[in-house]
Amino acid sequence: MITLSSVHKRYGQEMAVRDVSLHIRKGEIYGIIGASGAGKSTLLRLMNLLEKPDAGSVTVDGDQLTELSNRELRKKRHRIGMIFQQFNLVANKTVFDNVLDSLKLAKRPKASWETRVMECLRFVGLEVYRDKYPSQLSGGQKQRVAIARALASEPSVLLCDEPTSSLDPNTTAEVLRVLQSVNEKLGVTVVLVTHEMDVIRQICHRVTVMADGTVHETIEREPTGVVAIDQNPSWFVEQLREEGESNA
Amino acid sequence: MPDILVRYQSEIWQSIAETFIMVGVSILAAILVGLPLGTWLYLSRKGQLLENQIVFSVLNLVVNIVRSFPFLLLVVFLIPFTRLIIGTAIGTAAATVPLSIIAIAHYARLVEQSLIDVPRGVIEAALSMGASVKDIIFKFLYVEARSGLVLGLTTSIISFISYSTIMGVVGGGGIGDFAIRYGYQQFQTELMLYMILIMLVFVQLIQFTGTTVARIIDKR
Repeated sequence: MITLSSVHKRYGQEMAVRDVSLHIRKGEIYGIIGASGAGKSTLLRLMNLLEKPDAGSVTVDGDQLTELSNRELRKKRHRIGMIFQQFNLVANKTVFDNVLDSLKLAKRPKASWETRVMECLRFVGLEVYRDKYPSQLSGGQKQRVAIARALASEPSVLLCDEPTSSLDPNTTAEVLRVLQSVNEKLGVTVVLVTHEMDVIRQICHRVTVMADGTVHETIEREPTGVVAIDQNPSWFVEQLREEGESNA
Repeated sequence: MPDILVRYQSEIWQSIAETFIMVGVSILAAILVGLPLGTWLYLSRKGQLLENQIVFSVLNLVVNIVRSFPFLLLVVFLIPFTRLIIGTAIGTAAATVPLSIIAIAHYARLVEQSLIDVPRGVIEAALSMGASVKDIIFKFLYVEARSGLVLGLTTSIISFISYSTIMGVVGGGGIGDFAIRYGYQQFQTELMLYMILIMLVFVQLIQFTGTTVARIIDKR
């Protein structure tokens, strides 16, 4: 679904992402974990070209993003949803209009707007909030609106940048459940960046550990919920294992 | 009504009309040219969508130069330019030229400042949904910054009224000019005070309207 090959990204002198290659399979929930400054958010932004790589290639669903024209890239982005830590909703628009933006930008026929927006709001369980403004919602609700907005244009991938990092544990669980059903019911591939071990443990099928701009290791989860570990476990992996065990 | 106002009734209405024309044209110029200019100023800033150091420096310099001129000198300085466009440098129509120039620069700066307040993340979300620069300006930036844009325009309009009062120097007329010529220079202090009162009412009304509108449209 998503393939990065030897991707580099630098800001001035600093290498934010160096020589990262990875492959994300269709239909999985793929976690990227690491300490702050590890380059994980940059890595995620390379997947819809919000950040342009200095070297290497990014392929999403068969299209090499760096080869696309501006117009083609904008079109492609309708198929790559994204949600953010700060939700990034338009505060001056209602819940309905926020979701509608996504359809307008994707140039969907006007006749389908009402139905599609309500369908997406129903999916995240917020159809009764259609005329509210973001400031009237809780953090978890805002993130669910953001999910509905990202889903409206029927993406095949959903990129999540620290989607639960400004939420409390209860709303975190609520948002993770929605993400899980996005993956299971709609078949959307989910890429999730986080620094919270808990989030990875709850929903990710595979995890990449990032440190200093590179992929430290990639781990498959076992059905038991305990992460399988290769030799030389990193600090993160050890922590994952400890948490897994204490929860078992 | 006080006798003095009755006596000068027609001149007063005339001067109010002149002020309306001068301020009205300034508002139009501010919206039609100042708004796009301020938007461009914002977009060409470092880190923004149309980042361009040269464009930003030039626009920034032009806006600063216009705004740092003492307004009276700007009016004089622009006389050849005014003559070129209007055909004369004297009268109410001619007065709208320097007023429009300062209006554009004034509002452009306030537009830029309002747009800076739009959270970076909102623009990022728009980009991630495949928005073009035009989409971002009209569907996101102006929507999110709308109460700031209205408040900025309110502040600008009040400045335009103040600027318009000195247009008497080029025969522009207006309430300020009337107050100076008939009130101050002819020692009719009472008349001058009434004129100041009229201006004060206008300013209050504009500020009240602006603040109210800005509050109603602000859902943040």
